[in-house]
Amino acid sequence: MKKNLLILIMLIASLGAIGQGKFISKNAFISFYSSTPLEDILGESNEAVTILNAETGEIAFQALMTTFHFKRALMEEHFNENYMESTKFPKAKFNGKIDGYNSSMLSAPVSDIKVTGILSVHGVEKTITIPAKLGLEDGKLVGSSKFKVTPENYGIKIPSLVRDKIVKEMEITVKANYLPFGN
Amino acid sequence: MKKIISVCIGLTLFLSGNVFSQDLDALLNEETKPTVDFATATFKSTRIINGHSIEQMKKDQLEFRISHRFGTLNNGPYGLFGLDQSVIHFSLEYGLKDWLMVGTGRGSLNKTYDGFAKFRLLRQSSGAKFMPVSLSYFNSIELISLKFPERPAGTSNYFSSRLAYVSQLLIARKFNQNLSVQLTPTYIHRNLVKTELDQNDIFALGGGARYKLSKRLSVNAEYFYTYNPNAKFLEPRTYNACSVGVDIETGGHVFQIMLTNSQGMREGSFIPQTTGNWLDGDIHLGFNISRVFAFNNK
Repeated sequence: MKKNLLILIMLIASLGAIGQGKFISKNAFISFYSSTPLEDILGESNEAVTILNAETGEIAFQALMTTFHFKRALMEEHFNENYMESTKFPKAKFNGKIDGYNSSMLSAPVSDIKVTGILSVHGVEKTITIPAKLGLEDGKLVGSSKFKVTPENYGIKIPSLVRDKIVKEMEITVKANYLPFGN
Repeated sequence: MKKIISVCIGLTLFLSGNVFSQDLDALLNEETKPTVDFATATFKSTRIINGHSIEQMKKDQLEFRISHRFGTLNNGPYGLFGLDQSVIHFSLEYGLKDWLMVGTGRGSLNKTYDGFAKFRLLRQSSGAKFMPVSLSYFNSIELISLKFPERPAGTSNYFSSRLAYVSQLLIARKFNQNLSVQLTPTYIHRNLVKTELDQNDIFALGGGARYKLSKRLSVNAEYFYTYNPNAKFLEPRTYNACSVGVDIETGGHVFQIMLTNSQGMREGSFIPQTTGNWLDGDIHLGFNISRVFAFNNK
């Protein structure tokens, strides 16, 4: 009887631990940047959602294309209408895993890591490995990354007329402040 | 007691197992709030062809528009199919708010000045909030600045005689990525008309549509039916305005090239005063060009 009670208590305690096993950020920042002498293009979203599984080192991102905003309204319209086709492909996703993950990474100061996973943009999935940073900053778990993607690889055609205004490789910046999931 | 505990244990195991098996992606889907998806880019430009579309300049965006309508195609080769003559209209149009756009312009036809405001009342949306159509209200004043003709002694001209007022409801629906349709009930009041038989108050219904052939090319058509046109025997005879055209988009520019039976480019002229007849070849080639400038600092 006492043994059973003990098991129950342990289980409930472990359930709490499971709750702590994931970290979430509902307002992660994602931007993409293209700079040419003719035009700078900067799209920013502060509404990306990301979850980090502390048990396995798995990490997932989702961003609605329509949450990206631009200085020029026309750019935003073209981004959604002509390039990303946001009604057809409303979300960009990343599902990956931290290379050589161990849970101490989450309690150490910010340090360099690598993440490998599948980036899904414009309905095209590609496996990529990107450099990132992860760790504690002022007692909070933060993650960030800066990497490049080539729109053409994701079936995003850039017409020759505007080719000079858009770089071949977009610079993607990601920043997330993680909070324990379920709180 | 034992039973209860084992049930508890079972339940706990079941629940915790459930949490584990949940895919991160599915968790993310749960955490993403349902969004309201507004229909954007119902039309490529703030005009379908001659008339206003549901589109507005967004806040702090300025558009400079230049439009030309040439003479009629039935001028023949001697007049290079109308290219020898042209009327111009240019305007500056600005988004004060995302829902309010104002503009002012000048047209060479009848030396007209105009000012307008376009208010967005409803936005077509799906997702968390469903709205089948977009609705805007358009209002403008047009001022004909032609010199007044000589008047008989003892009568005088009034400034108010130069003015006309236009009110329109723009009701549009983007049916899919390619097809958008708009209905435009219109009321026009002209303070002064040529003869007693001309109408001061004009009621019309406009219909317009666009179909996208590719991401940057669309075909457009527009028709304005006037319920109380001028009597048929009045000269020059007036017709309903009918236009077809294409929109070509190149980055910050939209080119609109059209064939239309009206030379006027403002509601007060092309709705009540279109004198061309398609069947007689009174067709004007024309184009609108617009360039958008952003004035917001971010």
